Amino acid sequence: MKSTVGKFCGIYLLLICVSSHAAAQQWKAPTSMKKLSNGLVVVVSEDHSAPTFGLCISYGIGFRLEPEGRTGFAHLFEHMMFEGTPNAPKGVLDRVIEGGGGNNNGDTRYDHTEYIETAPISALDPVLWIEADRLKTLDFSVKNLENQRNVVEEEVRVNVLNRPYGLFFAIDLPGKAFDTYPNAHNFYGDFHDLDAAKIEDVQRFYEQYYAPNNAVLAIVGDVKPEEVFAKVDKYFSAIPARNVPPRPKVDESPQTAERRSSQTDQLAKVPALAIGYRMPPRHSPDALTAAVTGELLHNGQASRLYQALVKDKQVALSVDGGVNWPLGTPFEYNGPTLMTSFVVYPSNVTEEQLLAAFDANVRDLIDRGPSQQDVDRVVTKMRSDWYANIEDPIDRASALSHATLFDGSFDLVYQIPEDLAKVTAAQVRAFAAKYLVATNRTLINRVPAPKDKDSEGAKQPGAAQ
Amino acid sequence: MILMRAQTIVGAVVQSKGGRSCFALLLLASFAVAQKEVPLPKDLPAYGPEKPLATPSVKSATLDNGLTLWLVSEAGFPKVALTVAVHGGLAADPADRPGLSELLSKTLDQGTRTRNAKQIAQELQAAGGDLNTSASKDSLELSAVVLSSKVDNAIAVLADILQNASFPDTEVTLAKRNLADELDQREAEPSFLAARARDRVLFSDHPYHVTFPTRDSIAAATSAGLREVFAQRFRPDQVILIAAGDFQDDKILATLKAALGAWKAPANPPVAPVSTPSAPAEHAIYIVPRPGSVQTTIELVTLGPKLGDPDYEVTQVANAIYGGTFGSRLTSNIREDKGYTYSPFARLTSYQRAAEMISHADVRNEVTAPTLNEMEYELNRMATTTPSVEELSKARRYLIGLEALRLQDRASLARRLATLWIAGLQPDQIGISGQKVSAATAADVDAVAKKYFPAHRSAIIAVGEEKVIRDALSPFGLQVHTVQ
Repeated sequence: MKSTVGKFCGIYLLLICVSSHAAAQQWKAPTSMKKLSNGLVVVVSEDHSAPTFGLCISYGIGFRLEPEGRTGFAHLFEHMMFEGTPNAPKGVLDRVIEGGGGNNNGDTRYDHTEYIETAPISALDPVLWIEADRLKTLDFSVKNLENQRNVVEEEVRVNVLNRPYGLFFAIDLPGKAFDTYPNAHNFYGDFHDLDAAKIEDVQRFYEQYYAPNNAVLAIVGDVKPEEVFAKVDKYFSAIPARNVPPRPKVDESPQTAERRSSQTDQLAKVPALAIGYRMPPRHSPDALTAAVTGELLHNGQASRLYQALVKDKQVALSVDGGVNWPLGTPFEYNGPTLMTSFVVYPSNVTEEQLLAAFDANVRDLIDRGPSQQDVDRVVTKMRSDWYANIEDPIDRASALSHATLFDGSFDLVYQIPEDLAKVTAAQVRAFAAKYLVATNRTLINRVPAPKDKDSEGAKQPGAAQ
Repeated sequence: MILMRAQTIVGAVVQSKGGRSCFALLLLASFAVAQKEVPLPKDLPAYGPEKPLATPSVKSATLDNGLTLWLVSEAGFPKVALTVAVHGGLAADPADRPGLSELLSKTLDQGTRTRNAKQIAQELQAAGGDLNTSASKDSLELSAVVLSSKVDNAIAVLADILQNASFPDTEVTLAKRNLADELDQREAEPSFLAARARDRVLFSDHPYHVTFPTRDSIAAATSAGLREVFAQRFRPDQVILIAAGDFQDDKILATLKAALGAWKAPANPPVAPVSTPSAPAEHAIYIVPRPGSVQTTIELVTLGPKLGDPDYEVTQVANAIYGGTFGSRLTSNIREDKGYTYSPFARLTSYQRAAEMISHADVRNEVTAPTLNEMEYELNRMATTTPSVEELSKARRYLIGLEALRLQDRASLARRLATLWIAGLQPDQIGISGQKVSAATAADVDAVAKKYFPAHRSAIIAVGEEKVIRDALSPFGLQVHTVQ
């Protein structure tokens, strides 16, 4: 673990340096890192532009590793982290954080679960106390589990079952693209599995994964690192390290043939096509090029697919997507992932017409490559977006915490803009030729169900499979 | 975003503590006892000393042609947020072209005399941004967040659009087709159906009743018609440009003058503001049928005080206690106690001439009636009881803190300033509102709660399976209307 302390320009000024490459403006905030004896890694970044702070504690467990027969459990568990402890019963957390002028949330992803808070700086001590308290033990209450099971099932209804397209591009597409349980299962949870979750499961999961040595705590804002390290030491250092289960292999056998299927949708009015290409591993030399290619194809009105499908050929209504989309950035995962395209298209266009236009664009990328000018523009946009992604203290705390969790160092957060600028048009073209091929992809076409409301064959709205 | 504890965080609206059921008012006495807060943990550290939360320092300038500029220069972070707001939005559209502003906002950036749509998108991408255009009831807005090193390039594109948008026929034809399809898609979403019904119920014939264009108005739109509306509204004396971020005032001012100084306002008067709506909502049930729904989307909606009204800030405090936070009464009741819903919320949304108060919950079909019962109970409990000392202080601190957190983000600061300008207010309103929130007393909250919160002031919108809703809500004994 490196401790890269950025105490440049005086005590608290943020550093800006303009590098020799005129376009590559670089920005860093002074940041330092420390590891407690129980294994908790702490990252602190000073930013005195407002008297506030953002905090993120990420744990190295996500839904990829949730137990079989317990789909959706990692996320259900996340909800239980807000349900109180023997010291601070249900309700105290919100009273303390909101009463301190702040806000909190949590979210579950493939390979991590994060808990985030942001508030005026006067609330820092009680918020740290709250985070330490729920790392000591929880109120393993059957009643609260029953309550949060209901809440989570309503969440699934509002985001999946009662919504057109039902997130099929995020839930069903990996289900078809991958073959093993960790990568293919429904991470939001089948109701059968959510209903089967017991309080003993909550306790076991907590004991296995919610250990200080499986977490990174990042704090960004109107703070001095030495003071924050001392506070964290005070609140967290007595929490013992625990044996965390070793990470199992989650690799997939190589895909050898294109996979295609179709679904009907009771709620959608127009059809949609989802296309997922398997991506290289996160630390492969191709990963950065994957990120740039994903943006070149999908990001905004200047993107290739928007221009080709929506504007030139007029075979699509909207295009969205990218690497690890929509569940995170192309830099925050630790296992198989996809470059996903989600295309909504008009009813008078056929799937074949849409796919032909899509394929022609990808073919052109492979045959002729993008221009270096195209790549430079996309990279500029990505750098700008990356800065936006670390502008607010709460977001920078998340980015620092994730980078440290996945890579053992927060350097990536400040390094990304520079690394992106090195990607060339030739690399993008070679990447497309290697990965954007039919045998490496999975497609699901989702069409509105026939109007006949009594048709028994029609699927549940949004249902996966 | 999905898989979160709640749908939103900063800027969000969620709910709070409470809940028994059935004919709420009868149970008030016993409930008030049950409601007492448990003591906080003994070893929980106290809040530290408060630091003053600075309000943004906004420099204002007006060019000779009447264009307003508000500049917030903050060195350090290498980005600049640009927002342009133009008076006149959906409520200013011709009566026979409802929602035309939506199409206008979608085609505004699709060409000028010298740039085509692709060039505009690519030039902004090269500046590190995209252009977002949107239509609201009172205004049209354009915004982009770009790298500070490229802000001049972004201003050049924005200035060209503001003065020379050309609405090419081919782009308008495509946008009309896509907007008609978008209307189909939106009509599949319960939140859109609820919003459309809400505006119709609250504003009836007033121009604020329009949320989105109709199929007829989309079909009837032409490039010439869009150019005409564009020429009426896009004139420097009706426009503000806000920049927030890393720039030097004199340099950006010179760039803006060079890019926009020659723009001329026509001699004819600008579009007049809309009148103040006054029709009270009927306490009735408005069902929007949505076959196949596994949830009912319930909204209780009424008119409230608008930004600038004396009651506005105190009503925000009352709303935070009622349903605007995680610890609020509504969330504590229907989520944390009963598990009926995931992300209920209550909010007060202000337009230039009116404000909407909305309580919202998406609930499984089986609990449609008990949820409505609890929502009405919590509204009435606000109207009839005084909040606890802790509830009040928590709500005030929450709103003050939330404001500081929002304003540190350049893009949200720029949007916030645009909202103030459209409402006819100045940047110092941020500080004025903060003081009013801090000064709100229990008696103040009581007074606004009595005025705005009684459930009988609200109309009830319910989106979902019509028969499920009709059967579930018939015991309430209210008038039931079906709307689309």
